[in-house]
Amino acid sequence: MLWVDKYRPKTLDQVMVHTDIAHNLKKLVTEQDSPHLLFYGPSGSGKKTLIMALLRQMFGPGAEKVKVENRTWKIDAGSRSLDLELTTLSSANHIEMSPSDAGFQDRYIVQEVIKEMAKNRPIDTKGKKGFKVLVLNDVDKLSREAQHSLRRTMEKYSAYCRLILCCNSSSRVTEAIRSRCLNVRINAPSEEQIVQVLEFIGKKEGLQLPPGFAARIAEKSNRNLRRAILSFETCRVLQYPFTNKQAIPPMDWEEYISEIASDIMKEQSPKRLFQVRGKLYELLINCIPPEIILKRLLYELLRKLDAELKHEVCHWAAYYEYRMRLGQKAIFHIEAFVAKFMSIYKSFLIATFG
Amino acid sequence: MSDIRKWFMKTHDKGNNAASSKPSSDKPQSEKTVAGGQESSGRRITSKYFNSNKQKGKDEKEKQELPAKRKNAKDSEEIHEDDGDDSVLPTNKKKLADTTPTKKLKSGSGRGIPKKSAVLEESDEDDDKDAVSAAKSAGRGGGGGGRGAPGRSTGGRGRGGGRGGFMNFGERKDPPHKGEKEVPEGAPDCLAGLTFVISGTLDSLEREEAEDLIKRHGGRVTGSVSKKTNYLLCDEDIGGRKSEKAKELGTSFLTEDGLFDMIRASKPAKASSQEDKKLVNKAVAVASQSKVSPKSQVKVPLSSRSPSKQAKPKTATTVQSSSMWTEKYRPKDPKDIIGNQSLVLQLRNWLKAWNEHFLDTGNKKQGKKQNDSGLKKAVLLSGTPGIGKTTSAKLVCQELGFQAIEVNASDSRGKADSKIEKGISGSKTNSVKELVTNEAIGVNMERSKHYKSVLIMDEVDGMSAGDRGGVADLIASIKISKIPIICICNDRYSQKLKSLVNYCLLLSFRKPTKQQMAKRLMDVSKAERLQVNEIALEELAERVNGDMRMALNQLQYMSLSMSVINYDDIRQRFLTNAKDEDISPFTAVDKLFGFNAGKLKMDERINLSMSDPDLVPLIIQENYINYRPSLAGKDDSGIKRMNLIARAAESIADGDIVNVQIRRYRQWQLSQTSSLATSIIPASLLHGQREILEQGERNFNRFGGWLGKNSTMGKNLRLLDDLHVHILASRESSSGRDTIRMEYLTLLLKEMTEPLRTLPKAEAVQQVVELMNTYSISQEDFDTIVELSKFKGHPNPLDGIQPAVKSALTKAYKEQSSSRVVRVADLITLPGVKKVPKKRIAAILEPAGEEVEKGEGDTLDESEEENSSDNEELEGTKGEKLQSELQSYNSKATQIQLELKGTGNSSSKKTSGGRGKGASASGKKVAQAPKTTAKRKW
Repeated sequence: MLWVDKYRPKTLDQVMVHTDIAHNLKKLVTEQDSPHLLFYGPSGSGKKTLIMALLRQMFGPGAEKVKVENRTWKIDAGSRSLDLELTTLSSANHIEMSPSDAGFQDRYIVQEVIKEMAKNRPIDTKGKKGFKVLVLNDVDKLSREAQHSLRRTMEKYSAYCRLILCCNSSSRVTEAIRSRCLNVRINAPSEEQIVQVLEFIGKKEGLQLPPGFAARIAEKSNRNLRRAILSFETCRVLQYPFTNKQAIPPMDWEEYISEIASDIMKEQSPKRLFQVRGKLYELLINCIPPEIILKRLLYELLRKLDAELKHEVCHWAAYYEYRMRLGQKAIFHIEAFVAKFMSIYKSFLIATFG
Repeated sequence: MSDIRKWFMKTHDKGNNAASSKPSSDKPQSEKTVAGGQESSGRRITSKYFNSNKQKGKDEKEKQELPAKRKNAKDSEEIHEDDGDDSVLPTNKKKLADTTPTKKLKSGSGRGIPKKSAVLEESDEDDDKDAVSAAKSAGRGGGGGGRGAPGRSTGGRGRGGGRGGFMNFGERKDPPHKGEKEVPEGAPDCLAGLTFVISGTLDSLEREEAEDLIKRHGGRVTGSVSKKTNYLLCDEDIGGRKSEKAKELGTSFLTEDGLFDMIRASKPAKASSQEDKKLVNKAVAVASQSKVSPKSQVKVPLSSRSPSKQAKPKTATTVQSSSMWTEKYRPKDPKDIIGNQSLVLQLRNWLKAWNEHFLDTGNKKQGKKQNDSGLKKAVLLSGTPGIGKTTSAKLVCQELGFQAIEVNASDSRGKADSKIEKGISGSKTNSVKELVTNEAIGVNMERSKHYKSVLIMDEVDGMSAGDRGGVADLIASIKISKIPIICICNDRYSQKLKSLVNYCLLLSFRKPTKQQMAKRLMDVSKAERLQVNEIALEELAERVNGDMRMALNQLQYMSLSMSVINYDDIRQRFLTNAKDEDISPFTAVDKLFGFNAGKLKMDERINLSMSDPDLVPLIIQENYINYRPSLAGKDDSGIKRMNLIARAAESIADGDIVNVQIRRYRQWQLSQTSSLATSIIPASLLHGQREILEQGERNFNRFGGWLGKNSTMGKNLRLLDDLHVHILASRESSSGRDTIRMEYLTLLLKEMTEPLRTLPKAEAVQQVVELMNTYSISQEDFDTIVELSKFKGHPNPLDGIQPAVKSALTKAYKEQSSSRVVRVADLITLPGVKKVPKKRIAAILEPAGEEVEKGEGDTLDESEEENSSDNEELEGTKGEKLQSELQSYNSKATQIQLELKGTGNSSSKKTSGGRGKGASASGKKVAQAPKTTAKRKW
């Protein structure tokens, strides 16, 4: 088993990083009820872990006995009927799903499926809890319509259904939903905390950690705990015993994006743009989300850029990212950004060096 | 009355007719010979002059004779004579062929000499015309002169056109002063009769622009230098083959400025410059005249009385000008058909041999012969509309004395009723069947003549929903047919005709070349006394895209309003009224990005981009980077181009956003905005010369890559979904899909490949299989992981792993699969996996459905609970009819859920059975990795 999962805290008591939040959550649910919750924070900060631990706290170990189901839902949408596939993860007391997987049909998921689930009262022989929990992932990726449909459901069935929403950025969740939830911000763990965790794992695994090695991983991980642990293990797979100079391998796709960035910086020509397009396609085909590509690309470009251009480039990246979300064919927007960048950078080069 | 009766009647009539017209059969005979020679009529235009005198007197006579003659031509009588004709014709042709080369030589060398005689001739023959027409005829002569050299120069031009495409391979530089000079406008025919060859890079014009300019002014552009070339247009002597040849032949060189001067000169001082040109014209015209006249002289003795007779049908038609030209000038003889002569011949031979092969030969051999693959009982003619398929079929039949029965899309051609009696009064198909099986039709009528019929099934690809089983029935008819069947279609590769193709001899008609068409059109316009120059007609032929019928229609239409038609008129006409042909997305993109796309009007652009509103934007998006925009002008650093590309890219992205509005919110009124943003703006920013960006790429627009990439992406996402679900099902991780891709995958891959590379085989395999089991990763998922981590230009993650290790891994994995009880994957209906057939669901439902509910009663979780509540609802309302109701539409949703349950249940039973623990305590239907099974039975 991967260390990430092996050393994932199972209960709120085991939590190492966000101890204060865990403490509060525990208090919250011991009073037999809980409000709707909205967890938000950057990825790899422990939202999911906290949610699972919270569920266990609520329902006991039964919450861990989940099963996966992939069901087809038939939905009447006006004149036609749709078939929607949805993967759910459910235990006796909770259901977890990512409604945004349905793409632009997420509205129907929320309107039909979730409502249907929320409607049904849990039959609980032990009389333990009067409610069940719906965990919705990636709420920020829900379309506006879907989010609007959600808010009524949240109110109407609140007597016996609790929603736990989970997302990266609360800014993409509508005000209406945010105000109906208890918002819990999960910060990215600090580097010290990450080092602490890594050392804990190292101890458990019986590894010899050279001094400063954990710190380097933590620094590289961009305060993403999951990544830190994963790359820690990758290092372990590639080379053990650790040496102090051991390179920390980047993710495959990140490496590829940084190649693209240096391609762009080297030459700004239609030919290069064409090659970059091919590489971008390669990334998209390998299922890297376009937003991530754009963000990472900007990050890589900014590292190599002169300070005076940074502002403008950031502006355009934001501009195209926004448009990408409005649009559908992500490659067009990323390509437009690259073309824009090339044009800006080229004229900058000509202006400065003639 | 059935149709067949009518046909009986018709044949009867025909027979009578033939009998009645027998007395006059000596004439048709001679006409035949004429028709035989008509193929070369284009060359003998001058024969018109011979006719014109006699013609008027004979008009009345002609009118009476013509119909009779036409019918006669159909008569079977003629075949025998015709056979005789055939033997004559080749020699006739041969002589023609022999004479032409010498003539060509003559015309080349003796350009100046016969001038006077020709002029004389002209003045002699045109005495009924006034002085004005004399001048005109000179112009026409010029056209003729241009045509004098078709054999060689046209070939050259064809190649030149093609070369224009190939030349773009990037070797030719941009014109140094591109777009900096003003292109002059001159008199429309100031270059008439002049032949140009363009060589090297011009000063300011692109190659295509120069060609266009010359053509517009009546000149012609050929690909290589020959004796007929008047000028070699080049700005720098690059010493290539063209210039060498030109020097050898003494062709004069002309710079671009010189060309401009020539054109400019024609405008203000028309008279003087025109005369200059006219002189040249004359010379050329004379050359052509001299060329033509000997020919006609040669001809005249050969085909005795032919000249007078031959032209008659044409001249006669000028009188009755109301009829459609397409009908009027429909070829009357197979040899008149433009192009595809070999196919016509093939058709003829097939038809001729048909009876021998399939009917007459010793009855016993019949079966065997049919097996011969070379021989097909039917023939399928295919080709684009308007190139003479139906006409050739009819003509060949007529020539061989077959009586053609045509069944086309206007007749209902559905599957015949099995009862043949109905045929007599029933549908067309039945009568076709009747006809096909009954060889006696003709024979009964007149035994001596032995009538033969041919069935022409026109427009077989148009057999639509109305003609149910039409093609199948046609095939059946072909199998039993006792008469030849000719099928005609436009698209041979149509799905509908797939089965038919096997039974037919396939003849694909090609579009005639524009020179061939122009020749024919010239004949027609001559006959209609329309003054058109050769280049204009070639332009017309090119614009209609090989469709002769369309060309004639256009010509007729234009003839209503003008009697002199030149290049610009035709351009003008087709500018506004292009043939409603299917513009392929590629053509549309080519036009939008073409070098003179800037001149397109807005609605033309919209039309182009709307020709396929889905594909055109994609192709544009794929290719816009490849164009070197003419807007950028002089652009050394490429910065202007980069800016334009950035603007275009932004506009394309705009278009994507608009498209979302259209598709998602059905805002179709925005479709014009979308085409503006996706196609028109990028195209107008970047139109220009295409260049290649990658070594070895062909310089044509690529197909939009987005579709393919998107579908690959979809596939990979699905695979990733599988993996995700499996990992979730292992209950070791509950991460999202993206997290798994972006963060887990690198490590997983390392964990799964690194040991295979470094550790000893057995240990490595065991370690990897263990990991795979922990995360319920199947072998397919393993492949997915590898696939998703492949990047172009990076080493394959599987490199360096011995094949033996790989196979050991597979083996080890498979071995353990028996103890793996039920894979999670088996339980989950994933997209693309076929669902259990409905029948089984119904069967499972009754016994199993209740069991499930009872057994699971207390441990039901939400979703099951929902299932059951649905169930109860259903049972409550529908009662015992449950099973039958299940099949109904309403309950489909439940059905699927139950299907899941059914399979789940059976699998869980299997588990428990295998372990011998009696009825499964847990009602859990989802399987789990073996090691968690025990844990889960609480």
